[in-house]
Amino acid sequence: MTMTTENEIELRHVTKAYGNLVAVRDVSLAVPKGMVFGLLGPNGAGKTTLVNMLTTLLKPTSGSASVGGYDVVREAAKIRSLIGVVPQENNLDRYLTARENLILHAKMHRMSPPSYHRRIDELLSLMGLVERQKDFPNKFSTGMQRRLVVARALVHDPQILFLDEPTTGLDPQAKRAIWDYFLSLKGKRTLFLTTHNMEEADFLCDQISIIDNGTPIASGTSSQVKEMVENSWFYEIEVAGKVKEYVQAFQKMPFIECVSHQDGVIQVCLKKEGSLGALVEQIDLKDLKKINSRQPSLEDVFLKLTGRRIRQ
Amino acid sequence: MLVLKRNWLSEVATVLAFPLTFFLTFGLGMKGYIQDIEGVPYAIFVVPGLISMTTILAAFDDGAWGMWFHRIVQKTIEEYRVNPITVTDIIIGKIISGFSSGLLKGVSVGIALLLLTGFQFTLTHLLVYLLFIFLGCITFSCLGSLCGTLVDKPENLGRIEAVVIMPMIFMAGLFFPLSAYPDSVLSYIKAVPTTALFDGARIALLSGGVDMVYLGMLIVSAVISFILAVRVFEKKMHG
Repeated sequence: MTMTTENEIELRHVTKAYGNLVAVRDVSLAVPKGMVFGLLGPNGAGKTTLVNMLTTLLKPTSGSASVGGYDVVREAAKIRSLIGVVPQENNLDRYLTARENLILHAKMHRMSPPSYHRRIDELLSLMGLVERQKDFPNKFSTGMQRRLVVARALVHDPQILFLDEPTTGLDPQAKRAIWDYFLSLKGKRTLFLTTHNMEEADFLCDQISIIDNGTPIASGTSSQVKEMVENSWFYEIEVAGKVKEYVQAFQKMPFIECVSHQDGVIQVCLKKEGSLGALVEQIDLKDLKKINSRQPSLEDVFLKLTGRRIRQ
Repeated sequence: MLVLKRNWLSEVATVLAFPLTFFLTFGLGMKGYIQDIEGVPYAIFVVPGLISMTTILAAFDDGAWGMWFHRIVQKTIEEYRVNPITVTDIIIGKIISGFSSGLLKGVSVGIALLLLTGFQFTLTHLLVYLLFIFLGCITFSCLGSLCGTLVDKPENLGRIEAVVIMPMIFMAGLFFPLSAYPDSVLSYIKAVPTTALFDGARIALLSGGVDMVYLGMLIVSAVISFILAVRVFEKKMHG
């Protein structure tokens, strides 16, 4: 990690504590201009706390951070004119129509009516909300509210975008449209994304940092991070029932690095490639339905490093 | 203001119901049983207080519930805070919202009651009366915003209104003259800011007199509640 003036976002040994509870512990990272940076981690890992400090909502307990070259504590007002924020919750004003929500945001950024009306028309069209612009957000589905929140963050064409789980609750089509828009900003705008959606991080991010219990545990490009598990071999095993019994049995085997299960499928990573035979010997052939080898994912990296899945 | 403008008819109907019920019950229903008070017919005696009550209750409600709703339910305060406006801008905006709401509702009730009673007053009396109402409205908008900043549970906001605000209003001589209180109690009652508002505003509207002690108390209350509302909100937002 290099700290330079070209970095749009920098954190230097940032810690945030609430009494004895440390939400973020000694985090340092740098995001260069024009990059899409992904912060991955399970719920409660400290992602939102980190975003709240960078968006000037919270002050760090120790350490320092800057956004757009401005210090998050001393120059918060300057930062707020540069950034757009998609918070985790759809914090729309339900007494204002969809369009009025966007207008209020534009007015807070002191945009002129001709420029904000033009921009709002573009964004409503992009988000597929033109027909619903006079409706109140509480009449919207969660996905539509989410699209409106994303549109709101983009009204003033911010230099830096903070996206806290931006596509949660969206259907695949809407998610893809928003991803494509974010990709179109790559190189022109800096995006700081938090997610526990591995596919989203893999698809969008130039750089990734995985965080757990307030501390980064892995950083790099998606392929660099995945290299951390290059000496592991991943298999998905489908068995007829007894999933938990098999998971418990596998956990005791010395050649198995990690085990988890989801939707009745057991995921294992082996320390040695040739250990598959020994693993299969542990399974009653009557129970065995399928074994697949697969490429490692970011989820596997998290699992290997923490012994837990990101979505539990 | 956009939201208030959109719902003005339902807002006015709602805000008229409460004081008009009081007026019909006490001002008209019981006027035959109650003698004139200090030479003023009872129906007229209660009018300034009912207007003041509407104004400060509306200012308090808008300040308290508006702040609470934006902070806890909608979380729109967080949205405001990531925009290039300051925390002080936000709280002052909320106080102005409560003040405007209180004033508009007070004016609506005032027009209705003055039409009903045919009460005649001079412009000077009205202007002095409005000065008291302005100060009361600022104070209660600030107190409402303060409560909305500090209180997280909605039932506690309701409790504050029932246990603190309503007694402060009814003790302040809304339906009876302060001279009805025993002397030992009167000095305490006069120290309550609502007494300065209700009694001072009534004196202003009915006789045009300005009680400088009451006026001073209201100015001090408005300044203190404004500083408290702003400081507490800033402290809460900056953690």
